[in-house]
Amino acid sequence: MKTELSPRVKVALYGLMCVLLIPFVFPTWWMVTSSVKPISDIFAFPPDLWPRRFDWTTYGKVFELQPFAQQYWNSAYIAAVVTLGTMVFSSMAGYAFARIKFPGANLLFTIVLLGLLIPSEVTIVPLFQMFLKWGMINTHWPLILVPIFGAPSVFATFVMRQFFIALPGELEEAARVDGLGRFKIFWIIALPLAKPALGAVAIFTFLHSWNLYLEPIVFISARNMFTLPQALTQFTDAYGGAMWNIQMAAATMTALPVLAVFIIAQKQFVEGLAHTGLKG
Amino acid sequence: MAPVTLHHVKKSYGDTAIIHGVDIDIADGEFVVLVGPSGCGKSTLLRMIAGLETITDGEVSIGSRVVNDLDPKDRDIAMVFQNYALYPHMTVETNMGFSLEHRGASKAEIAERVRWAAGILGLEPLLKRYPRQLSGGQRQRVAMGRAIVRNPQVFLFDEPLSNLDAKLRVVMRGEIKSLHQRLGVTTVYVTHDQIEAMTMADKIVVMNAGKVEQIGAPLDLYDRPANQFVASFIGSPAMNFIGGRITTEGFVGAGVTLPLPAGVSGENAVYGIRPEHFELSPDGLPATVLLVEPMGSETQVTMTLGEHQIIGVFRERVQAKPGSTITIKPDIANIHLFDAGTGLRIN
Repeated sequence: MKTELSPRVKVALYGLMCVLLIPFVFPTWWMVTSSVKPISDIFAFPPDLWPRRFDWTTYGKVFELQPFAQQYWNSAYIAAVVTLGTMVFSSMAGYAFARIKFPGANLLFTIVLLGLLIPSEVTIVPLFQMFLKWGMINTHWPLILVPIFGAPSVFATFVMRQFFIALPGELEEAARVDGLGRFKIFWIIALPLAKPALGAVAIFTFLHSWNLYLEPIVFISARNMFTLPQALTQFTDAYGGAMWNIQMAAATMTALPVLAVFIIAQKQFVEGLAHTGLKG
Repeated sequence: MAPVTLHHVKKSYGDTAIIHGVDIDIADGEFVVLVGPSGCGKSTLLRMIAGLETITDGEVSIGSRVVNDLDPKDRDIAMVFQNYALYPHMTVETNMGFSLEHRGASKAEIAERVRWAAGILGLEPLLKRYPRQLSGGQRQRVAMGRAIVRNPQVFLFDEPLSNLDAKLRVVMRGEIKSLHQRLGVTTVYVTHDQIEAMTMADKIVVMNAGKVEQIGAPLDLYDRPANQFVASFIGSPAMNFIGGRITTEGFVGAGVTLPLPAGVSGENAVYGIRPEHFELSPDGLPATVLLVEPMGSETQVTMTLGEHQIIGVFRERVQAKPGSTITIKPDIANIHLFDAGTGLRIN
């Protein structure tokens, strides 16, 4: 039975939530406000929560100091390809592990899951050697292939498998009676029903690719090939000192798609994880 | 429409045998119900006819074709599942036309067939709805619509009413039966509910532990069960069983001697009598009343006869109180005697 909270308890609860919100909201607030402050104001003491002076030129300088539009495009198309590729591979692999009985399926799935336990720092050197041999260093291929076939895809496969396991077997049997083969059952029946899980996979894969940092700094050295996280470190003056306000302006622009994805798709994300039984 | 024949059909999972060689002949247009307790193999047998389970041994024929190695789609069957199995992301109309669409039917033909099926089942107002927007009974009707739209040779129903409430089940039972009468398509229907089996079937197949116990018309099974299992399974309340010996004085049970029809011989046996085959009679046998349950049209009385607990159903209104004694007489024409060892009928 639902009990109505008294106004006093409600106020106390909202107050507590506001306090708990501070560690999450403050860094974003500081980033956005710092992006429009002159650099000297950023270090003013006591710090200003609201800029004393607004300096909007920082946003223009982001594009003067770096090929920022190109880098933005790099991040965007890589994240899009990685997201699409992961959705395709993880949904097929997840479906196979969930619905197709084949010898050693559980063992194979366990081996695949073990991939999640290996930190990317451990595999980065062998991967570098491999991509060097394949002539892919300083191209975007490693940034596409590593996530599609690496840990993010393994997690996505796990999420999709959990979803497909819960799909009623009778639906597939009805489809078989209706004349569908295995691939069509996957494509026409199972996949459209997996939209919530696919949505969740799309969101976290996109974010993972968008925020990828270690791999770009290892595989990419040409400025116009940089992705955004890598580019953010490059806003320095002649002495190597960080140009904080410009860097914060670039960071604000970098964070925008992430915020947009969360605002638009947060319901889908939560529902997707709930469907897969991963929600706490 | 086509006959269905199962010839010595077996199913095993590894070393575990599930179906032990079943033979059933289903005539063209017949309504056959496979009935039995949970785990008896009736659904497995139905799924073998559908092609959703492989056949370990034996032959399944639909019409003149042996279909053992055919995919479900090539068997020309339609199946209604226990949980309806409607595609949640498709409207009622798309669900119903789905199989035709994937068999290359033209849009006009699909529309015509869907309209026809929807008309029969009263689904026209629901065609644009999604399954989640339908009640249980409506979903069941859509599942039947999806089956009939293709005009298959055989309908297969796998406990289609088990998710409905008791009242709706009775309504849908009638609808399925009248649909069969209208279309005349050979139907195999699985249920664990013997009332469903009795009311719907032309022929009942009683199964137990992967074997066929008896095949026959509903009333034949009711009136002359081939063994004690069938006798106990068909009929509600179940048949009363009294263990004892056949003697020249009658059937001697624990603390009671019951009358026997003439010409019965044997030794140790089980005396079976249905609850409605007792009558209240002043010159009957004394029975101690345990429980009286008035049903309106009849009265169900639980009592002890000798040392045996039995149930009697009487058309009369029985006023007896628990602990009191009534006198009852078994209808000698409706006595069933079973061998105590094998359980087979001996009279």
